[in-house]
Amino acid sequence: MSVLIDIKYSLRLLFKAPKFTAMTLSVLVGGLSISLFTFSFLYSTLYKELPLPGGATALALTTETIGISMNMDPNQNLLSAYEFRQIAKTQSSLIEFGLYESRDARLSFEDTGKNIPTTYVDSGFFKFSRTQPIMGRTIQQEDMIVGATPVVVISYETWQNELSANEDVLNMSIRLNEMLTTVIGVMPQGYHFPGVAKIWLPLNQSQLNTKQNTSSYFTAYARLKDDISNEQATKNLSAVLDQLYQQSVELYNQPEAKKVIHLRSYPMEQVNGIGNTAFIFLNAVAWSILALGCINVGNLLLARSIERQKETAIRAALGASSKRLISQLMWEGVIITIVGAILSILLVGAALDYTEIMLHSWMPNSIVFWWHWGMDKETLAMAIVVTLVTIALSAFLPAWRSAHQDINTTLRDGTRGAQSKKAGRLSRLLVTIQVFLVAFLMLIGALSGYVSQSFINLEIGDDYSDTMRVTINLPINKYKTPQEQAQLFETLLDRIKSDSSVIDAHATTFNHFPITLSEFDYDDSRERQSIDTFTVIGDTEFSGIKLVAGRHFNRRDKIGARKVVLISQSMANRYWPGESALEKNITIEVEGKDESLYIVGVVSNRMNPRSIFGKLDSEDETYISGLQFINPRQRIYYKTIKGSVKTEGIFYRALFEIDRNIELAQTVQPAERNRNIMRDSMRLTSKVIFGTGLFSLMLALVGIYGLTANSVAQRTHEIGIRRAVGATDKNIINMFIKQGGRQLITGLGLALLLFALISAVFHEFSVGLIPVYLYFVLASAVVICLSLIVMLAIYAPTRKAVVMEPSSALRYE
Amino acid sequence: MSALIELKDITKTFLTEEIETRAINSINITINKGEYLSLSGQSGCGKSTLLSLLGLLDASTSGTYHINGVDVSSLTRDQRAKIRSEQIGFVFQSFNLISDLTIFENVMLPLTYQSGLSKQVITDKVNDVLAKVEMSHRKDHYPSQLSGGQQQRVAVARALVNDPTIILADEPTGNLDSKNAQAVLALFDKLHQDGATICMVTHDPVSAKRASRCLEMFDGRLIADNANIPSHRNSVPSLEAVELAAS
Repeated sequence: MSVLIDIKYSLRLLFKAPKFTAMTLSVLVGGLSISLFTFSFLYSTLYKELPLPGGATALALTTETIGISMNMDPNQNLLSAYEFRQIAKTQSSLIEFGLYESRDARLSFEDTGKNIPTTYVDSGFFKFSRTQPIMGRTIQQEDMIVGATPVVVISYETWQNELSANEDVLNMSIRLNEMLTTVIGVMPQGYHFPGVAKIWLPLNQSQLNTKQNTSSYFTAYARLKDDISNEQATKNLSAVLDQLYQQSVELYNQPEAKKVIHLRSYPMEQVNGIGNTAFIFLNAVAWSILALGCINVGNLLLARSIERQKETAIRAALGASSKRLISQLMWEGVIITIVGAILSILLVGAALDYTEIMLHSWMPNSIVFWWHWGMDKETLAMAIVVTLVTIALSAFLPAWRSAHQDINTTLRDGTRGAQSKKAGRLSRLLVTIQVFLVAFLMLIGALSGYVSQSFINLEIGDDYSDTMRVTINLPINKYKTPQEQAQLFETLLDRIKSDSSVIDAHATTFNHFPITLSEFDYDDSRERQSIDTFTVIGDTEFSGIKLVAGRHFNRRDKIGARKVVLISQSMANRYWPGESALEKNITIEVEGKDESLYIVGVVSNRMNPRSIFGKLDSEDETYISGLQFINPRQRIYYKTIKGSVKTEGIFYRALFEIDRNIELAQTVQPAERNRNIMRDSMRLTSKVIFGTGLFSLMLALVGIYGLTANSVAQRTHEIGIRRAVGATDKNIINMFIKQGGRQLITGLGLALLLFALISAVFHEFSVGLIPVYLYFVLASAVVICLSLIVMLAIYAPTRKAVVMEPSSALRYE
Repeated sequence: MSALIELKDITKTFLTEEIETRAINSINITINKGEYLSLSGQSGCGKSTLLSLLGLLDASTSGTYHINGVDVSSLTRDQRAKIRSEQIGFVFQSFNLISDLTIFENVMLPLTYQSGLSKQVITDKVNDVLAKVEMSHRKDHYPSQLSGGQQQRVAVARALVNDPTIILADEPTGNLDSKNAQAVLALFDKLHQDGATICMVTHDPVSAKRASRCLEMFDGRLIADNANIPSHRNSVPSLEAVELAAS
């Protein structure tokens, strides 16, 4: 009964102060929503089990070559077929172990076609995923034999959307990569293992039986034996792999490094194993915002309970126990927190649903099948935990504090001493913490916002508008010599260019080679500088890399001819200022061999992967002829006339006319697609950061206003005394501003110190993406903005308090 | 004697939830320099309100108020604050010391609101008044470390530090035991002997009789204004004597 009375009384108080209720509720809903959304999004992304039978024990096996950059070894996360065979022979840690490779296939209809996310799998793949087809069968050993009838297993969605849910789908022939392929099975709805696959093709046995130096690379799947831990298995398998790698270092002149294995769950592998760090960091930010919210709400409620201090003291004098008083004082906070939690759950549910729709429509073939965001039991459980923590911080603590006051002190007139001293100290500490947290969030937000904007407005120095891009891997067992490979690429580019919609085409690769300039002395102790090097077949003019001096490559720049190089303008200016760089000689170490080259052209600068954080001309580039330094893996670019349609098909027609068996490492797509996705994601990040920063600032405003109002309310009597002995309004306001200023300086100082440390590390990492003065500009902007907000939040309640006549202030309780 | 304070037709009305309460009703008082007034009456008769008006803690609803011939009834808030810091000393029933400040800092407070005083002048003045109320030895303590009587002596010191034209005391012995009450009243007697002008609100007829002039209020009006010559006027005991007698 007494609880019902307390609830009724608390509700009455809340309705009586609608502004207070709305403000407290909005702060709480904001804090709870941010922390719940962050938790739910990250948990669903990183920690949810694969929605497959035995999904918890399914592991992705990847490798890492420690000491070699990704640029030098694009396959470094993958396992070669040779390595797989050797490990499979000797290992005793895994009960299941197999390979697959994910890349798109071209599904062609009469005159159109589309790229379908495809996984090439071995015969153990479907058994590993513990999933049976709803129709037909899966891929067997005999499907992998050279010369076997081409077969495909399709997803339920492919059957429904691409094949019109044809009842007679089994044994139907579809054209995949211009090859008639028989459908042998349909997988259940929602099955897209290992990520986004919509069809599954058999790996060819010949790909798996290759030699050490010509081996293809794959992703591996694995499942541990029951009595083996992940650490033990990783250690055992890494030892075998590293032994194999050291052999290839000796035999095939591979760069010296150490090769290790990672065994990770599929969700964790999807984020390259950095999930735990991201989860902890982002949740820490979100929980900081919730902590701010809790401090604010707790403080607003504390201010309310202080207003009712006399009432509480009277109740205590009349015999109410501490427990009873806490219960009575808590209800206001409990009701606000519960209502806030319910509103947050609804808001977060809607936001997660929106995220699910938005991400699936934005990146339809990039969202893995286990990524689903929405209100789930884990989020609800976290909501309960967060609500309880919030009740403890925002409702219980203020109630406990208020219930444990000295009754005599409160009931006796005019002795507010000890209570206000402690409360004042706590209030000052809270303001300092608030300022620190908000300043830090704003500083990091401003830095991230600037980085996002830098990426959005990044000047790359090239132009890939109306350009398509595709990466192909020539089978080196078929195209054995560099001449054969060069011949194929030239023919392919000619075929592409023969299409009436195509303006130009070229093939390129990217490397990072050490160079020596013959006119400069090199100390033995000084390592030769490595420069970004592109091989080019064709010329680069159409992609915006303009010729400044000399000439482009031509068909005569091939094997046997004088080896030539184009250099960027930045490099020409750096090493030959005021003179022509043409016909100068440089030495480039290509794949371990020094090659002497003559500069025949100077081209405009571009921003390349190495200098992505730097200025446009902070790094140099060299271009060598792709016909002299041939690489079986090439990225083909072709520019089409503006407004051309079905431009993907141009490449497929050209390729399939030459050789249907050439693999695509990446399917045909707009060359700017990744950049556009990056820019869009940066825009979204920028908006999220701005929103979070704004919300933090609002929290600071509300929180510091609340804290100051509380502090001023507690010191109203003191204000009366000061006024009685002659203090003017200005004296009183100055006193509070000065005290607030001290907390502002402490909080800001700590935040700036931490920001300086982070900035120093970031500046080193980002190679000067942000000029040093900009860190100061960002810090100054945050300092000014936050100082104004804090001063406003202090001034407003103080101004309100000094308006009171001293006689009233002296009577204030 | 010259008129230090002159109240003419002073009225103070409070408006609370549409109910008009007239706390002070057409009061006329003249206080001369060096007078020791007691102001008594029943609870709620308007004594404290009148003292607030005298001390410029509040503004009257109507009437005029002159201090040393200057009309202070229509001054701004800051002008009133200036007069409080320079010409008025307050002693409250509940001491009203600031708990976070030391005794020295509490006493110093009125001087910090005056401009042009050097640190040395302020220190000297504070030390002087603390010596006067025999609290020098406790100047670095906090109010919570002092007894009620000691706190009130500090409050008196604070009221004296700015050499006020008038000391206004609102039931200064109301929160004290008889021993400490006697000590404080003895201090007031001594101040009066030294020429201070004092106006003290009190319930206690014995305390009231120590004043040279007794005013009595009823229902917001002044109903009596009598000269009073206490029997002990010429034999003011020292603070130590009062404390020893009480113990």
